Amino acid sequence: MLQLNPETLKKLRRFRQIKRGYYSLLVLAFLMVLFAVGELLINNRALIVSYEGELYFPTYSEFHPGTDFGLSYSYETNYRDLQQVFEAQGSGNWVLLPLVPYSANENHTVTGIFRPEAPSRELKHYLGTDTTSRDILARLFYGTRTALLFALAFLTAVYAIGVAVGAAMGFFGGWFDLLFQRVIEIWSNIPFLYMVIIIFSVIPATFSVFVRISILLTVMVLFSWTSMTYYMRTETYKQKARDYVASARVIGASNTRIIFRHILPNVLATLVTFIPFTIIAAITAITALDFLGFGLPAPTPSLGELLKQGTNNLRTAPWIVTSAFTTLVVVLTLVTFVGEAVREAFDPKKFTVYK
Amino acid sequence: MTTRPGRSGSGTQRPAIKRPGFSLLLLLSIVMLAACGSDTDEFPEHDNTEEVLAYYAANPDRFSFKTLADLPSDLNWEDGMDQPDLGSPEATKGGTQYHFIQDFPRTLRWLGPEATGGFRAYILDNVTMALGHEHPDTLEFYPGLASAWAVEEDTKTVYVRINPEARYSDGEMITADDFMFMFFFMLSDYIVEPWYNNFYAERYTNITRYDDHTLSVTMAEAKPDMLYYALDMRPIPQHIYKDLGDDFIDRYQWRSVPGTSPYQIKPEDVINGRSITLTRDDNWWAKDNKYFANRFNPDRIVFSVVRDANNRFEGFKRGDFDQYSLDLAEFWYDKLPNSDPDVSNGYIHKSIFYNQRPRPNYGLWINTSRPLLDNKDVRTGIQYASNWDLVIDSFFRGDFRRMNTARDGFTDFTHPTLRARPFDIDKAQEHFAKAGFTRRGPDGILVNEQGQRLAFTLSTGYEALSDILTILREEAAKAGLEFRIEVLDSTAGWQKVQEKQHDITFSAFAVSAEMYPRYWELYHSSNAYDNAFLEDGSVNPDRTVKVQTNNLELVASRELDAMIEQYDASSDYDEMLALSRRIDEFLYDNASFVPGYVQEFFRMGHWRWMRYPEGFSHMRTTLSGSFDDLFVHWIDTEMKAETLAARRDGRTFEPQIKVYDQFRVVP
Repeated sequence: MLQLNPETLKKLRRFRQIKRGYYSLLVLAFLMVLFAVGELLINNRALIVSYEGELYFPTYSEFHPGTDFGLSYSYETNYRDLQQVFEAQGSGNWVLLPLVPYSANENHTVTGIFRPEAPSRELKHYLGTDTTSRDILARLFYGTRTALLFALAFLTAVYAIGVAVGAAMGFFGGWFDLLFQRVIEIWSNIPFLYMVIIIFSVIPATFSVFVRISILLTVMVLFSWTSMTYYMRTETYKQKARDYVASARVIGASNTRIIFRHILPNVLATLVTFIPFTIIAAITAITALDFLGFGLPAPTPSLGELLKQGTNNLRTAPWIVTSAFTTLVVVLTLVTFVGEAVREAFDPKKFTVYK
Repeated sequence: MTTRPGRSGSGTQRPAIKRPGFSLLLLLSIVMLAACGSDTDEFPEHDNTEEVLAYYAANPDRFSFKTLADLPSDLNWEDGMDQPDLGSPEATKGGTQYHFIQDFPRTLRWLGPEATGGFRAYILDNVTMALGHEHPDTLEFYPGLASAWAVEEDTKTVYVRINPEARYSDGEMITADDFMFMFFFMLSDYIVEPWYNNFYAERYTNITRYDDHTLSVTMAEAKPDMLYYALDMRPIPQHIYKDLGDDFIDRYQWRSVPGTSPYQIKPEDVINGRSITLTRDDNWWAKDNKYFANRFNPDRIVFSVVRDANNRFEGFKRGDFDQYSLDLAEFWYDKLPNSDPDVSNGYIHKSIFYNQRPRPNYGLWINTSRPLLDNKDVRTGIQYASNWDLVIDSFFRGDFRRMNTARDGFTDFTHPTLRARPFDIDKAQEHFAKAGFTRRGPDGILVNEQGQRLAFTLSTGYEALSDILTILREEAAKAGLEFRIEVLDSTAGWQKVQEKQHDITFSAFAVSAEMYPRYWELYHSSNAYDNAFLEDGSVNPDRTVKVQTNNLELVASRELDAMIEQYDASSDYDEMLALSRRIDEFLYDNASFVPGYVQEFFRMGHWRWMRYPEGFSHMRTTLSGSFDDLFVHWIDTEMKAETLAARRDGRTFEPQIKVYDQFRVVP
């Protein structure tokens, strides 16, 4: 466990004082909590069904065919209709639906035609429906969740690889450093977006959606890990020249111990400042790929796909693009605020002008 | 992406860099000068006349030279001049038409590699003249380059008299020699077209020259459409293609060749990647002939490349482009509704035209070589689990109808009683149960004893229609069937199915307006596998899937093969009709094609200065139905100026939203 030294504590206190960044972080944290329990808020499965004295909790369980609740069909129960049926029967059965009773993949229409509908409170389509009558709030919610989780996974992978390689380069130096520098130079010149598109398009569709998302993540990490190595390498070089490293070596500390116990904690400060911007880069990349049609496979909900639908229907369904765009802007702005606050907090100079 | 920072100094001393020596500089400059050498636009001179004559001499059975005295005297000559004219007598020549293309053509050749693109229609299919053409209303023939023709059934020969007025656009006369040269051209290896090589070798056995303007062609089979293939021949100008040789592909890559078309392409109008223009030839020899006088009216047709679908539509709304297809419901009802100001003020007209022709067979083509899909019960279950009626009602808003077989629209040859299986969850589950899928897994999808899930990949190259797949997927899940959706771009999608890598594909073939359907390409076992069967008729366990054929369902059955072979060999109409019925019934039972939808009309939005005749068009048009099928439209330049001025000043006209259903067939 890394001991938080007084310097770091001071930086964290400074961060809390920057209200804009601090509150943005709180909002984002709250958003992550919402995402964790997303299925309880926006879902076409009911929260609780009370049927003939027994309680059912369909949200996270296996699917319940209609026959379980006295309906005539054997495919998954439509819980909204079930609620109507129970109310009509009046025999004491009830259904508790989530706040937004639609799933991200369900085509729901009252007119019999699949087309975008404006936001409507009675139908509980609070942000309207998209071109095949799917609820936009549901798609936005789950799409943002996917994007943020994707960004966090991306961040972890890129940092893990980048930090390891960069630290090794900086610490060992010499021919190892030279060799890897050349490798990284060549590798970083490969155009990121094109390679992701090309590689991802040859992946067959027989894999499940989850596997395909993982493959997309792997390919993206493969072409982005080089950025972290530059900072890591420089920082490690700087730290390596300091006295405490020399004294640690004199006492007989192994290389691993020096890197992990002494150098890394001091380098962390620099790394932390880059986290928000890496997240922004990841969200932008996945949204751009989805917009072009090369990212997450249909019908996965995603911000980019909604943006594409929105721009295709700018005249006839402006609510699609407004909600997708606003969400993207808000999320990226929040992360940017946090990033700026972190950078300012971790800046060694408190005043930029001599007072 | 975080940008790459400048390199941080490492702090070590570097040796001074030596300046590149003078010798190195000299070497570099020599290499560069050599590289930017001659601009190779020059192709060597070549004359293949000797080669052609030698070819004729070497194939005397195919190329015969006779005189007029050898012409039979009892021929029944027809000239096809007794049919209704095409187009409108009100049409005026002139004006410039502006249209868009999605991609710049890969070549100006109309055959050879990369020539079959969307633009070929403007170089070949819709603009060049053949000996005779099929009248789009009566389906009889009217003369093009020919002045008369006669059929001799027992010798399978068609005699043709070429119109002595017929000229190429450079003024040269069209003679029977050009048709003989056409065979040399089509049978040669220089054009790199095995399909044409095969077609012209198999279908025609002989061409005979009687004099400059009289020839006869003999067919291999006396099929009911013999006259069509004889009259559809288009001449190849021997005086131009005398340089046909090994460098044909490169030499003619961007060369605009004089021909029989009323529209030519000038070299300065080919702006690579941006636009290409057709210019009308004022001296076209047929411009006053019956059937052609009212067609091919605009002076210039400018095609601009616009890759994005939205931009094309916005360009149309601005007046940059003259017409736009409104086939999709979202365009007809939502993006250009009748209440749109441009429509209600009469600036843009909306038209629906019902036509009659064989329809593109949109549907799900199931690859029967895949595990689980080789089981007929699974396939039948898929038929019942595909909710096309919902797609038609909710996505197409009820405007289209369900297709019944892959051969709808052939009038006589369409099976009269077969109907597509409707969406029925119970029946679907009954068939899946027979195949061993009785239990639903935790996500609602059926699984069998071995734990295999009933899930298949449904791919398509039609990005604009991908919403259809999401609808089918949601509905199929109710029956316990999972469709994994894969939307590819059109080239990648087509490539995948040609390589037979698909499970199920949502595709369609554009069906030619021929008299009777083709079965061999789609259903014969030789197009499914190499060595499909062993000597004794049983399935060959070592057979390999054959790629790059149109047999997308990998149908391979000896019984069906026999029927198809008999159908192809027959020249008796009734026998062919009976066989076609049996083949369709066999395929229905095989359940490897889920019929989708049929569009019986096309819908068009066009600015009011783009004028069409009274009846709008004729019975047998292409499905896109745009101007490029028959060119009966014309551009009224005065009306264009008037409309644009009116739009600025706020003057309005009568809105025009018309339905042309004179050719509608009510099922």
